[in-house]
Amino acid sequence: MVTWLLGGLLLAFVVLPIIRLATTSSVASLHAAASAAAVRDATLLSLQAAAITAGIATLFGVPLAYILARASFRGRNALQALVDLPLVVPHTVAGIALLFLFGRTGWVGGPASHLGVSFYGSQWGIVAAMLFVSCPFAVNSARVGFEAIDPKLERAARSLGATPWHAFQRITLPLALRGVLTGAVLVYARSISEFGAVVIIAYYPATAPVEIYNLFLQSGLTQSASAAVVLLIVTLATFLVLRTLASGRLLAQVNRAYP
Amino acid sequence: MPTPRPGLSVSELSAQAGPFTLGPLSLAIPPDRVLVVLGPSGAGKSMLLETIAGLRSQQGGQISLTGTDITGLSAERRRIGLVFQDAALFPHLTVRDNIRFGPRASRRSAPDTTGDLLGQLGIGHLADRAPRSLSGGERQRVALARALAIQPSLLLLDEPLSALDQPAREDMRTLLQRLLAELAIPAAHVTHDRDEALSIGDDLAILVGGQLRQTGPATHVATHPADPDTARLLGWAELGHGTAANGAARIGQLIIHDRAAGGLHGPVQAFYRPEDIELGPIAQGPPPGAGLTAHVQEIIRTRPLARVSLSCDPPITAQILHRDLDRLQLTAGQQVQVSLLPGSLRLFRAR
Repeated sequence: MVTWLLGGLLLAFVVLPIIRLATTSSVASLHAAASAAAVRDATLLSLQAAAITAGIATLFGVPLAYILARASFRGRNALQALVDLPLVVPHTVAGIALLFLFGRTGWVGGPASHLGVSFYGSQWGIVAAMLFVSCPFAVNSARVGFEAIDPKLERAARSLGATPWHAFQRITLPLALRGVLTGAVLVYARSISEFGAVVIIAYYPATAPVEIYNLFLQSGLTQSASAAVVLLIVTLATFLVLRTLASGRLLAQVNRAYP
Repeated sequence: MPTPRPGLSVSELSAQAGPFTLGPLSLAIPPDRVLVVLGPSGAGKSMLLETIAGLRSQQGGQISLTGTDITGLSAERRRIGLVFQDAALFPHLTVRDNIRFGPRASRRSAPDTTGDLLGQLGIGHLADRAPRSLSGGERQRVALARALAIQPSLLLLDEPLSALDQPAREDMRTLLQRLLAELAIPAAHVTHDRDEALSIGDDLAILVGGQLRQTGPATHVATHPADPDTARLLGWAELGHGTAANGAARIGQLIIHDRAAGGLHGPVQAFYRPEDIELGPIAQGPPPGAGLTAHVQEIIRTRPLARVSLSCDPPITAQILHRDLDRLQLTAGQQVQVSLLPGSLRLFRAR
């Protein structure tokens, strides 16, 4: 009984502000906010940047996750700690650090600007900020997926004539797909909600959280609330769709496609 | 360089896993024979198979198969069929696709033998099932079919029966015996179970602590263990410590004038086969081998042989037929003549 009460209180703490926020805006004000070009552009930019980030984090995170799950070497724990580092770095600090690296005179930003790629105030800067704060989710989720697979399965595949890559592709990856996809969804969710790091490296073009902050500063609570609800609806909807796909139906299809 | 022989030939093979060292060891399996590697758990049996299969890097030595040196080949190019203790079937593939995995992976344009294998192993009705819906015995059959589908030059079986319950184990053992006899490819089967070892193996290799203690025809090794560890693994029971001098040994009250005692001098350790102990009424002339009188301490009616604990020096436990138990009308406390038949004793120099 007490456990239910305590858990219920925590849930109420999470849900009540969202409900309160959702009930502040009328349908007309939501429509107005959604048709405002700035809000629409910011939301689309957030969706796009978060999707790109999820793709990059998965592409680079899966090999690292596999190494952490399978290889035993000195310094493995240190490597795992490095992977988790972004979880403990305050996001504004992350933004400043990224700015040093990706800014116009930074180690990466300098050479990149000669090639015509700018991170400061661009979508690439936004993606860099999102990637920094969210990549641990991709690595850790995929690592848990790989760890759950009996390493004997790969050995069996090798003995049957499969190269290490073939064994990974046909056996390990399909079996760890749930973990990999869950990681991608978490990265997406974490990225779309990121504010602190993004606002420092790319104040403009504004992502949805940055645009909402601008509206809050310029026009006050009511105006920003409508835009906030629009963002909330879009992110929740995409998150729920992706999560459903990652957890079941998509997996079943992939498994059927893998004979 | 030794001349390559058909079958499997392993020379001076060694491998390392943390503090554990396997080998260096040498063994050979002719094409039509089954070698059983018998050893306690932790002896390095699985490690030996994985090293031969190329799944674990070796430190030294040479492996050749059907006359070709495969030491430098990666696992996927060795064509060695491997069956794991827990089958290790791919859980996301059907039985049929598990069996097809090998031929597809190696892209060999050989005729599809999946149907034949399904029939041969009696699993045709399971072809479209998922591995998780199979019983332990069915899983092992699928694992065996999957390993045979690559038409291996060598079959390695890593305790394939130990995860099975008794009836399934008997079925699988019969199937394995039949298949291995038909296939005429060299096979290595590792186990810690001596009944399994003696029923399946043509040859026996005893592995203890990463080292081969003894190899030879199974029947010979079983009757002539070369050291106490091997004797224990093969079901010999320890009789105790004693001394040997001038072709005779004394263990407690028991005097052994046996070939076993020949050539030994000083402290010895003796082993006996519990099923080679003969019990009879007192005073019927001198027993054929070594003997002494004892009191029956306890009778445990295990199957197939009953165990009779005997109070004597050294203490002995005999395993006898239930028929003999009834014939002798044995009861606890009764005095009996205990005879150890010739050949049922082994003496080792005590360390």
